[in-house]
Amino acid sequence: MLRRLLWYSILLSGLACVPAVASDSPYLTKRQQLMMLAESNPAELTLWKGEELFHEKRGPKNASLEACDFGLGPGVLEGAYVQMPRYFEDASRVMDLESRIIYCMKTLQGFTEEDEPIARKHSSADHTADLVALYTYIASQSDGMKWDPPMEHPMEKLTRDAGEVLFYRRAGKMDFGCVSCHSEQRKRIRLSYLPSVHQPEEWAKAISWPAYRIGHGVVRSSQHRVRGCYWQMRQAGLNFGSEASIAILSFWTDRARGHVATLPDLKR
Amino acid sequence: MYPWNHRTVMVTALLALAGIVGCAQQETSERSQGPDPLEMTPEAYAEYLVFESGSFRLDQPVQEGGDARQRMEQDEIQRLCSETRNRPPADVAGRIVRRARESIRYPEDGIQLGDWRKGAELARSGYGYRVGHRNDDPDRTAGGNCYACHQMDPDELGYGNLGPSLTNYGELRGQGESVRRFVYEMIYNPHAYFPCTNMPRFGVNDFLSQESISHIMAYLLDPESPVNPGIEPGEGERRGL
Ligand code: HEC
Ligand code: HEC
Repeated sequence: MLRRLLWYSILLSGLACVPAVASDSPYLTKRQQLMMLAESNPAELTLWKGEELFHEKRGPKNASLEACDFGLGPGVLEGAYVQMPRYFEDASRVMDLESRIIYCMKTLQGFTEEDEPIARKHSSADHTADLVALYTYIASQSDGMKWDPPMEHPMEKLTRDAGEVLFYRRAGKMDFGCVSCHSEQRKRIRLSYLPSVHQPEEWAKAISWPAYRIGHGVVRSSQHRVRGCYWQMRQAGLNFGSEASIAILSFWTDRARGHVATLPDLKR
Repeated sequence: MYPWNHRTVMVTALLALAGIVGCAQQETSERSQGPDPLEMTPEAYAEYLVFESGSFRLDQPVQEGGDARQRMEQDEIQRLCSETRNRPPADVAGRIVRRARESIRYPEDGIQLGDWRKGAELARSGYGYRVGHRNDDPDRTAGGNCYACHQMDPDELGYGNLGPSLTNYGELRGQGESVRRFVYEMIYNPHAYFPCTNMPRFGVNDFLSQESISHIMAYLLDPESPVNPGIEPGEGERRGL
């Protein structure tokens, strides 16, 4: 163990001269440390489960998700996630990846909201949610690509702009808005370094969900993260896949535009 | 055009006629009765998202009474700071400071220091008032979560840095009337000194009780408190305190 640590510190000290931003971003440095300490990302198990589920014929209509259009055409997964949220004509709304998966589970496979594969939104220690597995698999097909959400449809722009308003909107028992904790570099809540929305490299990493959360022992999604931040802010509970949640995701993805996504990521 | 393209209306009408009201269809028909977002400014759409779109669990009861809708409604200071993105121009800042001053209520028997040991716990605790998928127990005393943003006891390593270090605060400032008043006002409503500060308004928002405030103040100011272990000569000046 000691020898291992020694190695890491050597590796880390060597980092100082590589990426200029990372070295003066304690947030990114800590995150790199985390990636190196892990031998592999346990999210891979979830990813594999998702891959199987994606191709499996399921539901009342006994169909796979292979015909689902994530924005780049039916069945095209590569690069689809980094180009979401996106406006979908067939649903006449802006959707994030999780909402889109649910949409296809309903339309292609015939599942309803009440059916377990859709009803269970998050994983627990003893059960990986199908939705999280599918999300992890599909997102992984954009690993290493640059965030590039489309802004052609007027609803895409409006959704992002409203998301920006929500980001700055202070309310609740603690007067917080997202801005209170994510607008300056090198700031910490307790021991955790906070990513800044104004630093696109930090932000591109921050919004890299799905991620295996070491503290939770399972893979979490962006919907799970944004819900958690609203909870910490002591504002009202945010509903899964709601328009407001997608507005936030639309703004946060736009702020990472042009910077690389890590999918799935590993977080604390 | 979103959301009333002809097809949606037709399909919705047909389905309604046929008496088929599935989940997805219901969503569409609800939405088509609402206002057209594309006619709205981003600000108006954001308000619509918060209050009208069903995005938040507004009807959930909250421990202070009433429901979570109140948590989303902004008072004047929250609104002004949001609109100016926490950088209020001079006239707005002046207004915020005035409003904040007017809001401060003092304990009837003067500003007293409580028990620093109880304050130590309250300064560490981030418990209280969270609602949504999981609710905090209203019978447990809410904490001030000061360590999320401030260094206090130098032996506590888990401290944040959104706010300045408060280590040796009492040592450097003393416990006099004016210091106690300032600290009380900072905890009660810090916008009286720092308009649009990130620090929460623990008093105005009824987050901390008068009793809890007195304990936390003792933790900060009492010479016996571990927050005040004493300083090296020149340290105060170096830290700009
Ligand atoms: C009171 C401070 C606070 C507020 C307000 C806040 N967050 Fe966070 N946020 C955190 C903390 C702490 C973390 C966890 C960082 C870690 O795990 O190291 C976090 C994590 C995140 C992450 C993931 C970063 C990562 O590396 O894991 C994102 C993205 C994020 N927040 C977005 C938001 C959004 C959007 C809002 C508003 C809806 C918001 N936050 C409000 C404190 C806050
Ligand atoms: C979300 C972060 C946050 C939390 C939580 C917080 N503060 Fe602060 N506090 C700040 C910031 C930021 C400042 C500096 C004022 C400014 O520039 O906005 C500050 C300033 C202060 C000051 C004035 C320091 C001086 O310059 O003399 C005191 C005293 C203080 N805080 C006490 C507390 C106490 C006690 C608690 C817990 C009950 C607390 N704070 C919780 C962010 C926070």
